[in-house]
Order: sequence, then structure tokens, then C-alpha cells
Amino acid sequence: MMGGKTDRKLIVNGKRLDGRGLDDMRPLTIEAHVLNKADGSAYVEWGKNKVLAAVYGPRECVPRHDSDPYRAVVRCRYSMAPFCSLEEHGRAGPNRRAIELSKVIREAFQNVVITELFPKTAIDIFIEILQSDGGTRCAGLVAASVALADAGIPMRDLVSAISVGKADGQIVVDLFKDEDNFGESDVPIAFAHRNNDILLFQMDGKLTKDEVKTALEKAKNAAVKIHALQVEALKKVYERQAQQNVQ
Amino acid sequence: MADIIVPGETVAKAGGRPVGNTYREGDSMRSAVVGLYKEGDDRIIPLQGPYLPAIGDFVIGVVQDVRFTSYTMNINSPYNGSLSSKATRDELKLGDIISAVVAAIDESKNITLEEPRRLIGGEIVSISSVKVPRVIGKKNSMVNMIIDSTKSEVQVGRNGRIWIKGGNSALAAMAILKIETEAHTSGLTDRINAFLKAEMEKNNKV
Amino acid sequence: MVDILNEIKRDYVRDVVKRGKRIDERKFDEYRKITVETGIIPNAEGSAKVKLGNSQVLVGVKLDIGIPYKDRPTEGIFSTSSELLPLASPTFEPGPPSAQSIELARVVDRGIRSSGAIDMNSLFIEENKVWAIFTDVYALDHDGNLIDAAALAGMAALLSCRMPKYEDGKIIRTESSGKLPVSEKVATCTFAKINGSIVLDPSFDEEVAMDCRLTLSTTPTHLCASQKGGSGAITEKELLDCLDTAFRKGSELRALLKD
Repeated sequence: MMGGKTDRKLIVNGKRLDGRGLDDMRPLTIEAHVLNKADGSAYVEWGKNKVLAAVYGPRECVPRHDSDPYRAVVRCRYSMAPFCSLEEHGRAGPNRRAIELSKVIREAFQNVVITELFPKTAIDIFIEILQSDGGTRCAGLVAASVALADAGIPMRDLVSAISVGKADGQIVVDLFKDEDNFGESDVPIAFAHRNNDILLFQMDGKLTKDEVKTALEKAKNAAVKIHALQVEALKKVYERQAQQNVQ
Repeated sequence: MADIIVPGETVAKAGGRPVGNTYREGDSMRSAVVGLYKEGDDRIIPLQGPYLPAIGDFVIGVVQDVRFTSYTMNINSPYNGSLSSKATRDELKLGDIISAVVAAIDESKNITLEEPRRLIGGEIVSISSVKVPRVIGKKNSMVNMIIDSTKSEVQVGRNGRIWIKGGNSALAAMAILKIETEAHTSGLTDRINAFLKAEMEKNNKV
Repeated sequence: MVDILNEIKRDYVRDVVKRGKRIDERKFDEYRKITVETGIIPNAEGSAKVKLGNSQVLVGVKLDIGIPYKDRPTEGIFSTSSELLPLASPTFEPGPPSAQSIELARVVDRGIRSSGAIDMNSLFIEENKVWAIFTDVYALDHDGNLIDAAALAGMAALLSCRMPKYEDGKIIRTESSGKLPVSEKVATCTFAKINGSIVLDPSFDEEVAMDCRLTLSTTPTHLCASQKGGSGAITEKELLDCLDTAFRKGSELRALLKD
């Protein structure tokens, strides 16, 4: 989140500390259907982030009093592994940030999952951050979206997410950890692809209205690229299976 | 050849005939699943998905709970099936495998089963319920081909559970799993036919 | 929990909004009556109580000596937590903080922290010793929009917060060395999207009916924190329109905060 002041320059000659241009995303790879037991799953590597998402459901909702007689309840657990950070060893169990992120991620998916088809059941989303380097909630959203589709859970759309922000006075796309900590603003956003509805929006730092507009524009463009990778990952599952059986 | 489409993708105009596994938004129909679709199809064939029971479905279930007047059956669905103890002469135990038919589904998704038959011995192959139509084939053509080749008894539950007994049951199981992975491809019937023939010849030579 | 009465209220509110009105007859961009009272808990270094319509939130600020974080050795600590007291609403159960409570605390925290209202370096005392500011939000009465009430109370409590004296390694709380330096007045505005329309400062019934909410914290010139909550979606246009309203309403809210 918002960090301390630093004399460090984050952008030099139009290039960011990791060599990227202002609008460049870190390399992003997505693989769907990576686990056997889960109904759906996906593994994402985004820059140095390594994220695994799994979906179980629709399944019986326990405890019973959590269930809804008219629709499935969507539950989400965003969790960071104790070894995920370059720095300190993290404590096991959800901290307050993880609980907040679990909530806002859940809400993004509640918008697209067609829950009325499965009353009284639960759809459980698990996001495990195995290695973190900034933008983990977006990586988690991208992975979970693919995992939900992989599980065959009816949904209105795939959800794509990206963090945009401000570093050294410039709007940049896909913040990595140092930019998140030492930059002037971090804005994680999630879009529904078909209509660019905003399903997750958080912000800290300082932005003028014009900067907000620019940030939204750049985020939308990035989301389109991310969506294409999500679709490719889902299609690849079937090509992969077909290849395995060509003897 | 059908195309793979993903959730959110437009399939057809909303005014036209309804297409299965889509949802309506504004004036278009959009896919709700990852699946196969060719223009003119009446449904998107999902490549994966949960089993939602429909009345008349033939299912294979496992006794999950024994209650005073009924049995709770696990039918590989988010919803369990309920079998009245009056419907069966035998006394069923936890873990027993039975075939049954879905008789009724109420608004709370309570599923009532009838016509129970105990399945003794044999083995159960579990596949994704969305692939079951492929295993059955048009007018049972695919499953009959497997039965003829392997001489096994095969009962296909619409819920993705398939019971195989006797004959070359291992081969039958292999054929079914092969159909599951290649369900979305064309020319499958011929390929399975060739596969069964080749395997049977291998066995005969031994 | 599915409350049958809530479903009925929900439809009624949505219906009224569709016809261009609100059930309490406010304009779409109108706040309920707001009162801000500071210094009500003299034991705390800073305190304020805000009434926003029928919602009531009390914020207490305590200062303590803390050990700075290793990667920020010259900066003080700023920590916010919240309690949705069971007495505030039949919907609040006793127990560990819910996701809603944690979200409230973190949203209030971000608004203040991001704006730079508190200069964290000014809290440095000496090596390994900094001031730690603990802001505790106590929701007393829930009739909707606890976020804005809490954020306003938090801001008011900090603006009126006294610095205890620090001498010879001890805190002398009965003496003060002045006020806590606060350089910005952050205004936090929460909007609810109901049946396609956006309303400011949702009441409890409006929150039951809403599709989602958007909270925007602003200084006179910048957006400094935001949180979208709930499962509905907002469009880019709605976000930017809310931002315009938030800047406009910000000056009204700031006027309620005494220096």
C-alpha cells in the first residue's frame, strides 16, 4: 500500500525500474485445469507473481445457515503463503488485508456467476498467492475467473483485472511491488469483458480527475489483452487433451 | 466443425429460438459456459459442468445416509437424491450402489428417486456428466458398440457414473474414458470402433 | 441471513428510486443532517461523535509510543480498527471482526493515510521510538452509511487530537505539548447504485436495496482513496460523475470540521 517517501526514481528515460515502458504489462501466462480434485482450477504467473486458484462447486453449502434458499452463495478465500514475500516470513492465517480482499474479490464474482441456477449450494473460490510481487489481487481475480469457467459454472462473463497507478508523476500500467510501495497511487480495477462494467475498484494515493480518466482508459486496454490470454488458456485445455489421445 | 466459445460471447439474437446454456442480455444471447457451438445448434455443449438432475434421468447413486424412512443418495450432483425405504424391498447399507430414476424435483431442489436396483459387484467409472450423451451415442449406438465388443454389462447413469460388470470390463472402461477426453472431436465413433477392434485383437493374440 | 421484511423493503425502495425519488424525500445528491461533536471522551487524546441522519459513530484516538517498522525507521505508526457493536444493529453479531467491519476500518484508514493528512515523519521521537496513533471506530447506531460517518468522525477526532507530553522516556498524558499536526481535511463520500440510479449517503433501507456502493475520499484537488463494495457493477461514466459530486460535496463536509 502507500509507502514512505523515497528519493528513488521509479522512471528513468521513460523506462521503469524493470525496463518496461509506462503502458507495458509484465509477462503473463495462464494455464487452466491444473489440479485434479478441484472442479476447476488455474495457475497464473504474472511477472514474479505465482498464483493458484481453485473452485469447488456448486456443492452442498455447509454450514447450513450460510446457504440461501434462492441462489448459490459464492464464497472466496484469498490467502498468501507464509513464504510468498521476498522479505519477512508471513504469519499463517488470514490477516485483515486478506479478509478485505476476499470480500471484494467475492463481490466481483457474485456479479457474473449465475447463482439462481443452484439454490442452497455453495460455490467456493480459493486463491493462493504462492509468490507475490505486487498486483496479487488482480492476478488472483484473473486466475479465479479462469478456474470458474474451467469448472463449468455458468457465468455471464470472464472477469479481467489489472492494477494501474502513478509513479514519478506518470500513469503506469501493472504495478510491481516497488512501484506499489514507493509510487504515488495504486488502483486495482476489474472489468467484465463484454461491457467494461467495473466489478472491483479500489484506490489509494493521490490522483486528479484527469489522472483517474487516463488510468481507467489504460486499464481497459490492458484488460482486453488479459481477457485474450484467459480465453486462450481455456481453449488450450481441450487441445491439450485431444493431443494426448492421438496415438 | 463446432467452435469453442467462452462465457460472455454472443451466440445469437435474443429474439430467435432459445439456445441451451446461454443467457439473455439486452438483444443478444450470450454463452454462460465454455463449450462447443455451431450456428443453428439448439444448445451449447459445455466442456465441463455440474450434473443437474432432470425428471426421468437414469442415475447411479451411492447410499450416503440411512434414515428412518428414507435413504439419502449421493448422485454426483450438488443436490442429493432421496429414496423412500418403501420403494425398495432390500435393506440398503451405507456405501451400497444402486441405479434409479429421477421421479420428482421440487422448487427447493429436493430430488426424489424411484425404481431402485442394487448393483452388485462390477466397477464404477466416473466421468463428467456433460460427456454422457457422447458415451451413449445416437440411439445408443456408441454404448452398444462397447457392449458388443467387450461383452460387458454396461449401465450408463446420466449423472456421469457408469457401471461395468463382466466381459472385458477393463477395455470397456478404457473406451469410456477415451470418449470422455475426445468427446468434443469429430469422427469419434469410427475411432472408438477402431480402438476396440485393435484391443480385442491384441487380447486374442495373447 | 435472508430477512423476509428486507426483501419487501428492497422492492419498495427500488420502486421509489425508479420514479426519481428517495423514500426519505432527499435529493439524489443530498446528505442527511450531519452533526459533529469533538472532545466527548476526554480520556482519549482525540475523539468525535458524528450523527449522520440516524446513524451514529464514535471515534476515539489514542497515542502511544511504538517501535517503528524496520523498513520505515523514521515514520510513526497509524492504525485504524473498527467495531460494529452488536448494540448498533440487530444485524451485528458479537465475535471477531466481520469482513464488513474490517473493510470499514481499512477504507477509513486509506482515506486519511493516502491524503498525507498526517505527516508520518513528524511522529518520530528518537531512534526506535515513534508515536503510534490508534484510531478506533465504534459504530453505535446503524442506519446506513457508517463509512462516511466513521470517516468524518475520524477526521474530526484527529483534528482535535492533543499530543501528550513525552519526557524522560515517559508519556505524561495529563499535560499536552500541542495538537497533533494534521495538514489535510479529507472528505469521504459514499454513493449507492440502486436500480440504475446513483444516490449519495444511502440510509439503511437504501443499503438493503442497493446493487453496489462506491466510496470516494477526496482532498480539494485529488482523489486519494476509493473502494467499490457490493456485487453490482458501475460504469466508467458513473464513476467519473460520482467523482465530480464527491469534489463538490467535499467542501460541505470540510465546512463541518473545525480546525
